[in-house]
Amino acid sequence: MAAPVRILTAVPICDGHDSAINTINLEFIRHGIEVVYLGYHRYAEDIVRAAIQEDVRAVGISSYNGGHVEFFVEVVKQLRKRGADDIAVFGGGGGTITHDDQRVMKKRGVDKIFFAGTSLTDMVDFVHDRYGKAHRHNGRNGAPADMQLARKLTQIEDSFANGKTARKSATKKTGNTRVIGFTGPGGAGKTTLIDELVLRLLKRDSKLRIAILSHDPSVVGAGALLGDRATMINSQHDRVFMRSMATRGQAGGLSPATEDCLQLLAQSGFDYVIIETVGTGQEAMPFQSKLVDQTVLVMNPDYGARLQLQKIVMLDLADIIVVNKSDQDRARTAMSEIGRRVEQNGREQRVLATVAKRHRDVGVDQLCDWLTQPIARMSRRAN
Amino acid sequence: MSKLGSVVEAVDKYNKFVEDEVKRARTDKKFGQQMVTRWNGIKAKIPLGSAPTGLKLPRLALPEIDEAGDIARYLLGDGLPGEFPFLNGAYREMYLEPLQTPAIELGAYEKNAHNGKSKNNGSRNGTKNGVKPQQAEEPTRLFSGLMLAEDTNERFHFLGAHQRSKRLSTAFDGPTLYGIDSDAPGILGKIGEGGVAVDTVEDMIRLYDGFDLGSPDFSASMTISGPAPIIMAMYIAAAKRRFGNDIVPRLRGTIQADIFKEVQAQNETIFPVEASLRFLTDMMEYTTREMPRWYPVSISGYHIGEAGSTPVQQAAYTLSNGFAYAEMMASRGIPVDEFGPRLSFFLDCGLDVEYIALTRVSRRIWAIGMRDAFGAGHKAQMFKVHTQTSGRSLVAAEFKNNLTRTAAELMLSYMNGTNSCHSNSADEPFTTPSEEWIRLAAHGQAILLDESGIFKHTMNMLSGSPGMKAVERAVEAAILEEFREIERLGGVMGAVENRYQRSQIQTAAHRYEQQIYDGTRPIIALNKYRNSEEEMPEFELARTPRAKQQLQVDRLKKFKAKNAKKAEAALEKLAGVVETDENCFPALMEAAEVCSLGQISTTLQEVVGRFRPMV
Repeated sequence: MAAPVRILTAVPICDGHDSAINTINLEFIRHGIEVVYLGYHRYAEDIVRAAIQEDVRAVGISSYNGGHVEFFVEVVKQLRKRGADDIAVFGGGGGTITHDDQRVMKKRGVDKIFFAGTSLTDMVDFVHDRYGKAHRHNGRNGAPADMQLARKLTQIEDSFANGKTARKSATKKTGNTRVIGFTGPGGAGKTTLIDELVLRLLKRDSKLRIAILSHDPSVVGAGALLGDRATMINSQHDRVFMRSMATRGQAGGLSPATEDCLQLLAQSGFDYVIIETVGTGQEAMPFQSKLVDQTVLVMNPDYGARLQLQKIVMLDLADIIVVNKSDQDRARTAMSEIGRRVEQNGREQRVLATVAKRHRDVGVDQLCDWLTQPIARMSRRAN
Repeated sequence: MSKLGSVVEAVDKYNKFVEDEVKRARTDKKFGQQMVTRWNGIKAKIPLGSAPTGLKLPRLALPEIDEAGDIARYLLGDGLPGEFPFLNGAYREMYLEPLQTPAIELGAYEKNAHNGKSKNNGSRNGTKNGVKPQQAEEPTRLFSGLMLAEDTNERFHFLGAHQRSKRLSTAFDGPTLYGIDSDAPGILGKIGEGGVAVDTVEDMIRLYDGFDLGSPDFSASMTISGPAPIIMAMYIAAAKRRFGNDIVPRLRGTIQADIFKEVQAQNETIFPVEASLRFLTDMMEYTTREMPRWYPVSISGYHIGEAGSTPVQQAAYTLSNGFAYAEMMASRGIPVDEFGPRLSFFLDCGLDVEYIALTRVSRRIWAIGMRDAFGAGHKAQMFKVHTQTSGRSLVAAEFKNNLTRTAAELMLSYMNGTNSCHSNSADEPFTTPSEEWIRLAAHGQAILLDESGIFKHTMNMLSGSPGMKAVERAVEAAILEEFREIERLGGVMGAVENRYQRSQIQTAAHRYEQQIYDGTRPIIALNKYRNSEEEMPEFELARTPRAKQQLQVDRLKKFKAKNAKKAEAALEKLAGVVETDENCFPALMEAAEVCSLGQISTTLQEVVGRFRPMV
C-alpha cells in the first residue's frame, strides 16, 4: 500500500480564523491524508521550517484577515530560498481573496487558490490528484541538512508503508546524543511538558540542538491529524528539528518506522532526541529500543483508585515519573500513592510533581536539571 | 460546585416556583383575586399612542387572559418589559417613539413595582409632566476600522454625520489584536488590514480626534480582547492628554476584553488564560471603581456563533462565561450590585429558528441566575445586549441577497428586544465594508425602526406567540443541559482546559458545512437556485497602501526613540508589579503613556508566559 499523502496546514500570522481550516482538516483526514496542523497565528518562517522538517508535499494556508498576497508569496519565497521549491503552496480565504489577487499570487508561485463555494470534496480530490505523487527529488546533495534529514525520514516511513517489517533494535548513535522517551496516558500533558523542557534546554546552551519525534494515532490506510506542533510554541525554533509521525496502525504508542527513524536521528548530531508516544494504556511499554537512554512517564493525578497503579507497566520501567497538573486537588494523594508504588520496585526511580502549563514552573526546572545531569551520576544520586 | 451549578438550581427552582404560584392562584381564592386586581390595574395604566394613520394603540400589548393562574404565569414567568425575569425586555419601552403629548405620567406600571428607570441603552422614554420628551439615542451601531488611525477617524466622522449621538465602534487590525507592534518583522502586509492599526497613545489620540470623549452623547466601543487591558490603558492615557485627568470618571464606552470566548472560539489570546483573567480582573476592578460609565467586558457569543456553534451553544457558553466573570469579581470582594450593572453582552443573530427567542431566554436565565445565585439587585439582573447580524450567514454568491438575510436577522434581533444592534454590509464576504453598502446596512435598521410601524408604537408587538413560546421552552431546556455538562467538567475553567467548548463548536461547524454540501441546509444561490453563469463581482477593496503601512512603522520607530528611557523605567516597574499580587492596572496606565503596545505585551509575556494555543 502506498504511503499516505502528507501536507501541512496553517493560518497566517495575526489571524485566528481557524473554523474553515478545522473543517477542511477533518475532511482531509477522513480521506486518507496525513495533515500536520501548525495552528493559527503563525509566521511564514515557522510554516516554512515545519514544512521542510515534516517533508510535506504541500502547504495549505487558510487566510481571512487580509495581507494574503504578501503572506502566501513570502512562504513561497522562503521555501525556494531554502531549496524546497518542490513543496507547493495552496490555500484560500473565502471571499477575501479576489480573482485579481489570485492572478498575482499564481504569477509569484502559489499553486492554487480555492474561492468561496468550493466543495470540500473538490479540495480533497485536488490534493490527491496534485500532491499524491512523491517529490521530484530526494534531498539532493547540497540541500540544507534539515531537508536532507527530512527526506531520509520520509524514505524510511515510505519503505514501511511499502511492506518493510520492523527490525529488532538499532544501537548506533553519535557520542553525546541523549535519547529520552516520554510516554503516558492521553491528556496528561506530555506535549506541553516537552515543549517547556525544550524552552529550558535552548536557554541553557545557545548551541544545543534538539530533535523531537512525536506520534499521533492513525489506522492503516487512513489519514491522521498530526497536531502537536500547534501547541508546542517553543519548539518552533531553528535549533529544533521536529518530526510528526502517524502510528499507521501499530498499537503501543509508536509507528512501525519509529526505530529506524530514531536510529537516523540518533546519528545526526543532536544533543537531545526526544520521542513522544501517543497517549498509552496501562499495559504499554513502548521503549524497548536500546537507543533510549532515559524514560519519563507523565501521569495525570486523576488516574482513579490506587489499585489502578498496580496495573501500569511503565511504573516499573520508567526512570522518572512525573505527576503533571499537580495543581489539582488530588495531586498530593497521587504523589504519595505513586511514591509507595514505585518503592516496591526497589529500583532507582524518581517521582516529581509539575504544573507544565504554569510559566517558569519549578517542577519542570527540576526535571530539566535531572535530564541534563550525566546519566551515571543521576543513578547514583537517585537513592 | 461552581456558581454555574447554583445557577442551574436557581432556574429549576424558579420555574417550579412559577408553577406553584399558578396553582396557588387557582386554588387560593384570595391570592387569585389579588392577581386579577393587579392585572386589571396594570391594564388600566397603559397609555395610548397613535399611529400616523390615526389608529389608536396601547403602548404595551398584553395577552388576552383573565384567569388568575394564567396571569400569575405571565407576570412571574415572563414578566412585563423591564421587570424580572425580563423575558420581554430589559427596559419598559425599548424602541417606542416618545409620546407626542407627554401629559400622562409614565410612572411604573404599578405603584409598588421597583423604580428602575430606563435610561439610554437604546430605550426611548418620555419624561415626566409636560417636559419635552428627550429624544433617546438610536440603537444603531456601526463597526468600523481600517488602515491608519486618521483614516478610521475620517470614517467615524462620516458615520457620525448620520447620527444624533456619536457611538463609535472600533475594529483593530491583526497585529493590534495580537499585541504586536507594526515594526515587528514579518507583519508589514497585515498593518491596517481588517481594522485600524494602533501601536501607541499617539495613534489613540488620532483615532478619536475631533470627538468629545467626555460628552454624554459620545461613547467608544473597542473590539479587542487579548491585549484589552493595555488598549484600555492607552485609551485612558489618550483621553487624559487631550482633556486632563478629570476626564476619567466621565469616559463612556465598552471594551470587549472577553478572554473566555477567545480561548473557546476566536483565538486572539496572547497570555496564558489565568494571567489574562488576572489582567482583566485588575482592569475591571479599576473601571468599576473609577469609571462608572464604562463597560469593561462585553461577554460575547458573537464569535462563538461565527466560529460555527449552534445557537444554543452560543447562548450557553456566553451566559456561563458571564457567570464565571461575575464569580471572579465577587471573589475579589467587589459587591455584585457594583460590578453587575457594568457587565454587558454581545450576541450573534442568524437565521436558525432558535433566534426567534434566543436573546429573550438568555435575558431570563441571566436575571434569575444573578438574583438567586449571586444576590443581585434589579440593575445587576439586567442582561443588556448588543446584537450583530450574522456575518457567517452572508455568502459571496449573488451577494445582493445578503441584504435580505440581514433584514430578516435585524427583524429577529429587534423581536428579541436587543439594546443595540449592528447590521452587516452585504459586501462583507469580500472585504471591509465599503461606504455604499454600509449606508444600506444602516438604512435597513432605520427602515425597520423609524419607517415601519412594527416596533415604534407598541411594546410586545410580536412577543408571546405560541411558536415563540415553544422555542423559548426548548431553548431554555437545552441551555440548562449545556450548563450541567460544563458543571460536570468542573465549571467554565475546567471545561476550557478540557477543550470542551472548542470541540463542541468545531463539531457543530463541521456539521453545518456538511449540511450545506448535502443540501439539508439550503443556502440560496449557493446550493439552491444557483446561477452557474454568475461571475464573482470585482470590488474596489479597502486595502492599505504600502506607503501607509510604512508610515505607521516610521511613526512607531520615532515614538520608541523619543521615549526610550522613560519606556525602560515604566516597563521595569510594570514587570515588578506583575510579579506581586497587586493590581497591575495603575502601572499599566503609566506604561501606556510612553510605551508601545508591543513593548508592553512582550514585557508581560516575559513574566507570565505566552498563550499556548488549543487546537
